[in-house]
Amino acid sequence: MTIQTTQIQSGGLDATTVAQISSGEPGWLRELRADWWGTVDANPWPTGAEEEWRRTSLDDLPRDGGLLLDPPMATYDLDPELAARGVIFSDLASAVREHGDLVKARLGQNQTLPAQMPFWGRSLAAWTGGTFLYVPKGVVIDGLLTARTSLPSGTFTYLPHTLVILEEDASATLFEEVSSPDGQAVWFGGTADVQVGYGARLRYANLQRLGDGVWRIGAQRVDVGQDANVTTLNAEIGSAISKVGMDVRMTGKGGTSRLLGLLAAGGSQSIDFNSCQDLIGSHTTSDLLYLSALYDAAHASFYGVTRVRPEAKQTSSYQECRNLLLSPKAGAEPIPVLEIETNDILRCGHGATAGAIDPVQRFYAQSRGMTAEAAERMIVRGFFERVVAQIDSEPIKARVLDALAARIGSVEEEAA
Amino acid sequence: MTTGFAAGLRASDVAPGTVVTVVVGGQSLCVGRTLDDRWGAIEDVCTHDGGDLGDGELDGDAVECPRHGGRFDLFTGRVVALPPVVPVKAYPVHLDGDEIVVELS
Amino acid sequence: MAVPNPAVDKVPTGYKYGWHDPEMKSLHVMKKGLSREVVEEISRIKGEPQWMTDLRLKAYRHFEARPMPTWGGDMSQIDFQDIFYYVTATDKAVQSWDDVPDYIRRTYDRLGIPEAEKKYLAGVGGQYDSEVVYHNIRADLEKLGVIFLGTDEGLQKYPEIFKEYFGTVIPPNDNKLAALNTAVWSGGSFIYVPKGVHVELPLQAYFRINTENMGQFERTLIIADEGSSVHYVEGCTAPAYTTASLHSAVVEIIVKKGARVRYTTIQNWSHNVYNLVTKRAVAYEDAVMEWVDGNLGSHLTMKYPSIYLLGERAHGEVLSIAFAGSDQHQDAGGKVIHAAPNTTSLITSKSISQGTGRTSYRGLVKVYPGCHGSKSTVRCDALILSDEARSDTYPYMEIDEDDVTIGHEATVSKVGSEQLFYLMSRGMNEAEASAMIVNGFIEPIVKELPMEYAVEMNRLIQLQMEGAVG
Repeated sequence: MTIQTTQIQSGGLDATTVAQISSGEPGWLRELRADWWGTVDANPWPTGAEEEWRRTSLDDLPRDGGLLLDPPMATYDLDPELAARGVIFSDLASAVREHGDLVKARLGQNQTLPAQMPFWGRSLAAWTGGTFLYVPKGVVIDGLLTARTSLPSGTFTYLPHTLVILEEDASATLFEEVSSPDGQAVWFGGTADVQVGYGARLRYANLQRLGDGVWRIGAQRVDVGQDANVTTLNAEIGSAISKVGMDVRMTGKGGTSRLLGLLAAGGSQSIDFNSCQDLIGSHTTSDLLYLSALYDAAHASFYGVTRVRPEAKQTSSYQECRNLLLSPKAGAEPIPVLEIETNDILRCGHGATAGAIDPVQRFYAQSRGMTAEAAERMIVRGFFERVVAQIDSEPIKARVLDALAARIGSVEEEAA
Repeated sequence: MTTGFAAGLRASDVAPGTVVTVVVGGQSLCVGRTLDDRWGAIEDVCTHDGGDLGDGELDGDAVECPRHGGRFDLFTGRVVALPPVVPVKAYPVHLDGDEIVVELS
Repeated sequence: MAVPNPAVDKVPTGYKYGWHDPEMKSLHVMKKGLSREVVEEISRIKGEPQWMTDLRLKAYRHFEARPMPTWGGDMSQIDFQDIFYYVTATDKAVQSWDDVPDYIRRTYDRLGIPEAEKKYLAGVGGQYDSEVVYHNIRADLEKLGVIFLGTDEGLQKYPEIFKEYFGTVIPPNDNKLAALNTAVWSGGSFIYVPKGVHVELPLQAYFRINTENMGQFERTLIIADEGSSVHYVEGCTAPAYTTASLHSAVVEIIVKKGARVRYTTIQNWSHNVYNLVTKRAVAYEDAVMEWVDGNLGSHLTMKYPSIYLLGERAHGEVLSIAFAGSDQHQDAGGKVIHAAPNTTSLITSKSISQGTGRTSYRGLVKVYPGCHGSKSTVRCDALILSDEARSDTYPYMEIDEDDVTIGHEATVSKVGSEQLFYLMSRGMNEAEASAMIVNGFIEPIVKELPMEYAVEMNRLIQLQMEGAVG
């Protein structure tokens, strides 16, 4: 099956392509795309001197692939009853057609961390897919909302943009999963703009199982409103190079966020995350826990900033990044940064570790009759438990464990 | 039978007390000539930051990295001054008439 | 709630220069600013061997070519051309007691500093009257074969040792300030401890009768030969007043197999000073290197004592205290590079910020491939005493070997109200209670200081707390 992409004459994305995609779209969207492309024009690429970009070079980013025009549609199953109550769960293009006013009011209204702006801008200018979730005031969605995409074979550029809006007291759990075949040079974006209103509750999980030739350069911005409660999970299993920036703004008083990450990498994968937990409102809480298991010659970097603003009183934050190095050539660079501008804090700290499996643990498992490989698998699975245990939704947990098993091996048959 | 590779350089191209970067047998090397006319060659890489020694200087018997001043012995590749800590490979050099030949094996 | 700090009111501005010079010595033109000629002149006046002159000039070339760092504190106010780069021992600026800021004079009184020492610290007295003490110590050391001289004298008397080690730990082009120091260095200590010799008494900078003790561009070189041990102490807790606003020292230390070196610094420069220092040690097999680093003064300090663990089972420690009051920024920390198997390191940082002060911990733990069995723990705790103060932590880690255990933990907190309440209910006033809590916070590091420093440190904290709460 051949994929349909734009015909790019030379060197990838440009204003012409952006205009091309936009033909047939409403005027406001055409303008929005052009405006965002304008920001990219002014600020095309990171220089590499930024702290967030020192550890990942963009020299080999596959920039010449045509833009994927016809991405495979994920299925967006939504209970008709919820739809009747005003919930919208669809791909972004359909949402533009069917709920234009709502999307117009909320799409592309926000920026993100300066380091990620070149990619945020490109997504907003050239998105051809992505998810739109809108939950009106007071609507509580108990079931899981899933958007799963399998990308086709081929060399292309695909920059999906996801927009999630939860109004006051809304509640939802969203699971996005993307996969693609190995051996294809693809530039995959993956940006998400998440707005969680007063008292709302969101669980947002992202599972990335991209092929071994994919460059994934993504960004997530999450605004947590007053008394809102947000948990995000990023599970990174695939790709050749993965660079993601997370921008979490605790704007409303009393908001809570939990940022979870599971990374399992091998081969010569390079996973590079940067995050910013910006505690602006008083009595806010933000805890981050990112765990990575690194095999072969994989490398994980993590540059996380916790910023407590002078006017934020009684905040609580902890940033934790732990790396298991499972082979001599694996490497990790966890850099948890604190910038604390007030002393009126409840709790603030961070921790980072990197190293091999504790030999005592390994010995204990093997003395139980396990082979060295089985012992390692079990210990790694145990290492991830601190995050896995915090995944409330069973279906998400199952999918994530399934993806992890592909990398860390299956532990089921070893269970005594 | 020589295992040397011609550096594509002549002795007269390299002033005494200087070091020159050249690609030999697919590898980038720093070939140096001391003030008292001894010749040596080392890998063109600074093990401190991974960049090349390219615009470096020859300081006595040591090649100095232009970025942070780390020094490697021209004849053994040993670290003579921090911040690098890992040595580089060194290769013997001899002259074949006016041709510079580096033993890469 | 802004915290009044007497220091802010009394920071001397501009560059005042009071001559008080009984002997006129050699003729050289004193002028501000840096150039090739100034560097050559410095070397000529000192009568140095050609290789040192060449090295200074090369370093000067690097200094000129290199841009200023774009990270760390705010160095925009430093004007390299507005500095005197060379002052001889005899025509060294001797300020008038009247120029010494009030807050410093008051601190001396409160700390009970003896008269002569006061004048010395304030740069008012040219010499500290410890002549007798110093000579006795020298005699003892000579018997052991220990060399303890000013760096200038060291170069004259032991040029071979110098040539072997100088600039190998911190090369001239390591960073802009190291390049500056290598070009214009003067004063500092040169110490060599022979194999197996253990120097029991801590060697202190102001034992040497040399007004270059508080020099701007000190260069220190310490070599501890195999199996030896020595403890060197620099600076003091009492505030030191100087009109020279840029201090850029370089300290290189070589700890050979099985040897042990501890280098203790307590810095309390007046609040006009930019204190930008490069300190680095190499530790070989089974060696131990400890940096104890106290940063209390200066307007801006940027200092990251480092240890390169180059031999198996080498161990490195950095114990760092930083105190930043209003208008101060302490940007400090430590770096450890694991370059051999089974090496261990420990970095402990305690910082306190008060008023509008800012403390930043900046550190690096790097593990090269092949350094299996290495372990490192970094523990950074910050106490923020006022709501306008600020604390940052920037811990870098580059781990490229799997068979290691590397960990870092940090906390940021304020003085707990329950703790405070408890102590006050025991009869202390708020300042005393706060001082007690702060002293408890820094105790793990203070207990590593020589006794008299520890005592002074505690009293100084008390003073600072009174200023904060009073």
